[in-house]
Amino acid sequence: MRIMRVKTTLVSTNRIDAMGHRPLLVVQETPNGPRSVAVDAVGCIPGDWVICVGSSAARDAAGARDYPSDLTIVGIIDHWNPEGT
Amino acid sequence: MEVWRVVDDLVCTRRVPGMSSASLRILKGQKGEISVATDPVGAPPGKWVFTAAGTAARMAMPDRTVATDLTICGIIDGWEEG
Repeated sequence: MRIMRVKTTLVSTNRIDAMGHRPLLVVQETPNGPRSVAVDAVGCIPGDWVICVGSSAARDAAGARDYPSDLTIVGIIDHWNPEGT
Repeated sequence: MEVWRVVDDLVCTRRVPGMSSASLRILKGQKGEISVATDPVGAPPGKWVFTAAGTAARMAMPDRTVATDLTICGIIDGWEEG
């Protein structure tokens, strides 16, 4: 699992049917690192520190074994010091 | 899921049966890396898209038996580069 920070919501009107209407968020592991897109299974807002799972766990966490996600947010971190590691 | 920009179509007539007739796109990543993805959406060149990798790439295809490891899941409506 990876600790990531939510940047913004992602709007994608033209998407495959299998993705449904699940909310998508832009997440970032480091402030200037590459941005990824994650499926939000919890309900978080920009600025939240979150835990993300990848690979097939991402499909299970998104709610169905056949959901086409490779990165899913599974939890919001209550307290976290990014400089403390 | 990763964010990419569609560079162009990719024509590949001779391919393994497992790839069926899935349409292919050349994608450029945020660091300039180049990759090829199957495209069930129909994304035109120049558009920003997000993709599913690994087994999720097969789940994203209408036919789950297609041998792909990167599939375009949707076109991003608005994306700021950088």
